[in-house]
Amino acid sequence: MAVTSAPRVEVAHAPPRSRGVGDRGFRYAMIAPAVVVILLIGLFPLVYTLIVSAQNITMMEEDTSFHGLMHYRALLADTRFWQAVLHTLLFLVIALPAQLVLGLLLALLFLERMPGKQVFVALLVLPVVTSPIIAGALWRLLFDNRFGPINQILSWLVGGEVTILWTVNPGFVYPAILIAEIWQWTPFMFLLLLAALASVDQSLTEAAKLDGAGFWTTFFRVTLPIIKPVVWIALLIRGLDLFRLFDVVWGLTQGGPGTMTETVSIYAYVLAFKQFETSYAAALAVVIIVLLSAAVMWALRRVEIAR
Amino acid sequence: MLLRRRDFHALAMGASATALLSRRALAASAAATAVEAAKQYSGEEITIVWEAGLQSLDPLNFSGPKWKEATGISVKVIEVATAEMFTKILQEHRAGSGAYDALNVIPAWMPDLVRAGALEPLDPFVDKYGYREELQEIAPVYRDNQMTVGGTIYGFPDDGDVFVLYYRTDVLGDPAIQAAFKAAKGYDLPVPPTTWEQFYDVASVITETTGGKPFGAGQFREAPYMQFMFQERFRNEGGRFFDPQTMKATVNGPAGLKTFQGWLAENKVMPKGVETWGFVENLAAFLQGDTAMTVSWPPYGRWAAGYGTDEAALAWVPRSQIAGKVGYAMPPGGHPQLAAGFSLCVSSSSKKKEAAYLFIQWLNSQEVSLQRVQLPFALRDPFRDSHFASEEYRNRWPEAPQYLAALQAGAVNGLLDLSLIQTDRYEEALRQGISKLWAGGDPQGILDEIAAQWDSITERIGVDKQRAAYEEWASKPNAYPA
Amino acid sequence: MMRADRGLGLALRYLAAVLVTAFFLFPIYWLLAISFKTPDEIFAYPPVWVPGSLQLSNYQVLFKDGDYVTVVNSLVVAGISTVLAMTLGTMCAYSIARFRTGGDDFALWIISNRMIPPIVIVFPVFLLYVRLGWVDTYVGLIVLYTAFSLPYVIWMMRGYIQDVPLELEESALVDGCSRWQVFTRIVLPVARGGLFATAVFTFVFAWNDFVFALVLTRNAVTTFPVQVTHYFGGQSNFWAKIAAMSALGTVPIFIVVATLQRFIVRGISLGAVKG
Repeated sequence: MAVTSAPRVEVAHAPPRSRGVGDRGFRYAMIAPAVVVILLIGLFPLVYTLIVSAQNITMMEEDTSFHGLMHYRALLADTRFWQAVLHTLLFLVIALPAQLVLGLLLALLFLERMPGKQVFVALLVLPVVTSPIIAGALWRLLFDNRFGPINQILSWLVGGEVTILWTVNPGFVYPAILIAEIWQWTPFMFLLLLAALASVDQSLTEAAKLDGAGFWTTFFRVTLPIIKPVVWIALLIRGLDLFRLFDVVWGLTQGGPGTMTETVSIYAYVLAFKQFETSYAAALAVVIIVLLSAAVMWALRRVEIAR
Repeated sequence: MLLRRRDFHALAMGASATALLSRRALAASAAATAVEAAKQYSGEEITIVWEAGLQSLDPLNFSGPKWKEATGISVKVIEVATAEMFTKILQEHRAGSGAYDALNVIPAWMPDLVRAGALEPLDPFVDKYGYREELQEIAPVYRDNQMTVGGTIYGFPDDGDVFVLYYRTDVLGDPAIQAAFKAAKGYDLPVPPTTWEQFYDVASVITETTGGKPFGAGQFREAPYMQFMFQERFRNEGGRFFDPQTMKATVNGPAGLKTFQGWLAENKVMPKGVETWGFVENLAAFLQGDTAMTVSWPPYGRWAAGYGTDEAALAWVPRSQIAGKVGYAMPPGGHPQLAAGFSLCVSSSSKKKEAAYLFIQWLNSQEVSLQRVQLPFALRDPFRDSHFASEEYRNRWPEAPQYLAALQAGAVNGLLDLSLIQTDRYEEALRQGISKLWAGGDPQGILDEIAAQWDSITERIGVDKQRAAYEEWASKPNAYPA
Repeated sequence: MMRADRGLGLALRYLAAVLVTAFFLFPIYWLLAISFKTPDEIFAYPPVWVPGSLQLSNYQVLFKDGDYVTVVNSLVVAGISTVLAMTLGTMCAYSIARFRTGGDDFALWIISNRMIPPIVIVFPVFLLYVRLGWVDTYVGLIVLYTAFSLPYVIWMMRGYIQDVPLELEESALVDGCSRWQVFTRIVLPVARGGLFATAVFTFVFAWNDFVFALVLTRNAVTTFPVQVTHYFGGQSNFWAKIAAMSALGTVPIFIVVATLQRFIVRGISLGAVKG
């Protein structure tokens, strides 16, 4: 990866001029196939979900009569749903800053010249391209209280037998999932931030140092404002991924013990495909789409990557 | 007695050959009929859903290849984790893609799957291929409860699953431990314990006396298994699942609390980390001599005797250190859960129903099933009267007759899994409650929560409908202890 | 003095770098180690850190029982959907980049499609596929992955195409090329690096997907991540199979990505950071 060759941060990309000649047919023909496919999988489901959410289809009954907002009202009173929202937000507010800070520290570590740097960076990419469900499975093997190495390492550290039940004990199941999540995605933050940091003009930081500013002062006053757009983008991408967190939790606990680690996505899966509460699950899907679309549009404009 | 691999194959082949000959002399056996009829489908492939892991060793290593050899039909085994089986089968039925031909179905789900239209009625096939007589020879409790829904045959009971108490005769018979027991508890050490109070007493004294070498007891504790243990113990303690009038859940009564508290107390005298134990962890501990008592499914008894542990497919099972030192008994309370079990069914969306049917008839037939329940790596357990009586089986290891007697007694006294409309949702609530218990939740609070969840599920499904389903289930002789 | 300090600093940073990398690689090492372990070594307590030999029986059993086919399924599904998404997506991206077709809102709408949780999409799609008979078929998965990858491809290729000098296109037009010829003969060759990188990441996303495949496959087209989860539960967790199957599906991706170093940052940041 050419992190050393100053990367360019795209924030305000000037849109190229259209030539304005008779290209209308051509340009719409070019987007048509893609739009059709996206609509098939994007718009159709939305409409269909809306319709189903107003019916009352369950595992045993195909009741397609109109039930209005019945399921939406039930959803508001569904504590399991609100808990799932809470769990999801909890993962988000802990994992996101942790990944950011750790990724930043890593980026600072690798910022300066170092022999073999490319090799390190290449190796650190691997968690990011591992399938998240495989990552969940992987950590399940590592966290096994008897045959996994983590308790063993801990018992070396404390000098006595450690039998932490990582996937059972409520005090440890969140840390377990968070460790797996942070393991997988810290390198993502690292890669983005390293590229951004490498692009910062050295003369600016040198100037600040000459003015007597320390390392951290320079960092917060000079460097951080410059790389801020990248930080926002990284947070946006990861934040949205965390909001739909499914695979890692599924691999480690499937939402357990009880429903203690159940996320919104897992609850939606359980409703739709284990309990076959078709209409109720549809209502939940609509609520997620509405909330998320609003958040996404807001955030996308905010970080201005559309321009 | 230890069987070597080639002995086993010789035995299996010899047995099937003689069985074939003797039956052919009278009439074609169900197995032979199935093979003959299936040959017309030679070259095709059928898929069968099987529980992932150990259960699948049978179709992968034995019955699948044998069927292919006999008929030319290959068998593709789709391994699915137990917790996903119901979901997958029903999803597939909804999708109707014909991806599954034959199914392993836990009998408690059969009514649900039949209501959804996912299972093919088998009576026409049974008559066409002359299987009725052999079906009748399945042990009554399985035949009467795991075969039909509303009088129509939808599945062949194929697994005599029943919980058994395994105990170390040498440890419980140790004079030093017996003396310590008498001193501590004021009565003679019961061999084996017949109530859960006695079970706890025995386990705690052993653990204390030996300092955990071995522990008095070990147990799988993962929620999917424990929901069966809950159903069993709860009913042995006098519990009833619902009020038959109001259909309000009554799992949070005293019997439920006693069950939960009993477990928590037992965990303290079991090895550390027992809360995460599954089938294999518990098995390993018992076979290695680390625990003196455990309740589990029948395969434990075979492997504890050292039967079949030379098999390559079982290479990962620790070698039994306790052969010849294992006693078999009813679990405390005397009414073991007929936990899970499997019935062989045909998917209604299959495009190869006939071939799928013939395969399950062949699997389930007297002749082939006798081989399958004796497979060293099998998890299928004796379920026909002829299995319990088999001379061949009784000679497999010195204590085999007692073992078979215990299984047969279990089949008589056993308790059926709860089976309602959408049983899986009730079980799911139970499983979640149990995992909360291991996470340190308050037992009564958890039970109240389970009851509340059951009530809301019942309401969602319809109280009257569910009451009718419950009444039908509860009227069966093996629903509650007599 | 300065030099010594520098040397010490470098040594410390080097040590930190090695430790950090070891932390991030250890789980992957453990996975590979299990895949080579014998049953005794897997169920040994305390755990065995280095398998006694590189025995391959855990892999052999995947081939004997036919489980490896799921990797082939993944290859077919991810491969074809990548080609489709790249074709349709690049065309669309060209139109957006050169003509601002649909304006900013259209571009925003495209990328916002990528943000919707898969679980929300897969549910109605499942119901749709039931009607179409597409459950557990290659077609079903390929169409879904194509659609789900399109926003990403369009977004990325839009950026790469914007990097293509406008002068090149204009002179080609003057020379009498049609728009389509400009697109295929000028733009695509110039942007081939971006095409290649985008294709790889599109492939990786489809390859790694779990939720869609979990719901939409049964048997015929089961992909490898779903296969891995089949080994959980049951009467035991088949650790050997979990590890070997995971390795079988993961190592090829590692190799591909390792050869693509210089495109990674731009690829995973949705083009926001150009490495």
